[in-house]
Amino acid sequence: MDTSNPAVLVNGDLLRSYVGRRVRTVVQVVRPDAGGLTGRSTDEKQIVVKGQMPAPLTTFVEVIGVADSAQSIHAEIVTNFGDTFDTSNFNQLCQLANGDFRHLFI
Amino acid sequence: MYGGEFDGAAAFSGGGFMPSQATQTTDPFPSALSKHRDKQTLIPLTVKQINKALLSNDDKVNFLIDGVDVNNVKLVGMVLNKAERVTDVSFVLYDGTGRIDCNRWVHEAVDTKEMEAILEGMYVRVHGQLKGFQGKKQLVVFGIKPVTDFDEITHHFVECIYVHSYNTKLMKQQPSSSNQTHMPGSAVTTQTYQTAPSNQFTGQYVANGLQGIEKMVLDYLHLPASIARDSGVHQEELATQLGIPLDKIQATLNCLVDEGLVYNSVDDFHFKSAANG
Repeated sequence: MDTSNPAVLVNGDLLRSYVGRRVRTVVQVVRPDAGGLTGRSTDEKQIVVKGQMPAPLTTFVEVIGVADSAQSIHAEIVTNFGDTFDTSNFNQLCQLANGDFRHLFI
Repeated sequence: MYGGEFDGAAAFSGGGFMPSQATQTTDPFPSALSKHRDKQTLIPLTVKQINKALLSNDDKVNFLIDGVDVNNVKLVGMVLNKAERVTDVSFVLYDGTGRIDCNRWVHEAVDTKEMEAILEGMYVRVHGQLKGFQGKKQLVVFGIKPVTDFDEITHHFVECIYVHSYNTKLMKQQPSSSNQTHMPGSAVTTQTYQTAPSNQFTGQYVANGLQGIEKMVLDYLHLPASIARDSGVHQEELATQLGIPLDKIQATLNCLVDEGLVYNSVDDFHFKSAANG
């Protein structure tokens, strides 16, 4: 049992509050590139993901890693989330998980 | 009076399986049943919530989260450190909020097959029993399946938030009986709370004198000490403890029985609240 290093659920907007910390988000892959990918967050922001990617990539991927900057994540785990994903649900969950219900998550 | 007793118990103990009238000769039956059923509900949780769970004092197996007895839980997360042994498979479930050790006993071919499909790094939905073992919390898994629709992960966390809000709201409404709360598992139990005595706490029973007594009587019956007594509370005890004449107590109790909020237990003079089985 270990909850000392949680990954905070974030969208593009919330990412900037957690630079240097472990985060977790879902992005739509815009294009794969050398050493990672460029993705679009559930609130339509661009996020650069660095690290090892699964192949082939599906439309949506989940990224768990450390926030390098307000727009980039150094990925530890990248998981294919398939070609359909409800981005607005996830986006609202991020807001709840960083708002009134923060204590359930971090 | 007798008719009221049966209706009250049947209508307010959450629906579902109830003993027949023939078996309902003594009071402990409905309460034992409803407690048993409460413990069996599957509660959606995050690892963080489990980590903060209180070990309840009286029974070392049980945990308290948001005032609710927690036994069986459902979690959604990633499988890490999977290790197969002769009789069981152990793994760590990581749901983003934390990690918890899980154990799955494999007795039969079907168990083995279920666990073979689970690979390292895979997202799974896990149903299991929460146990405290040598000061560590762990999950004894009885059901596990891979997540194929990843919206399920979002939905799981939303469900955690919903159940947490529901239970904490209930705790504020009924501080004296929070351990007895029903889970919002079905429309029937939810409805119970709309029609059952929780309405009594919303402030509509303030102005009128008689209604004030009703509230006092109900509050007294809702005290943990009153709930714990299988025989119920004697009407004279209510009169003495509340400092209200016996005839008024009797009139109030009749009224509450007619409304189905209270029922006779061992005889015509002992009463229990229908809200607590």
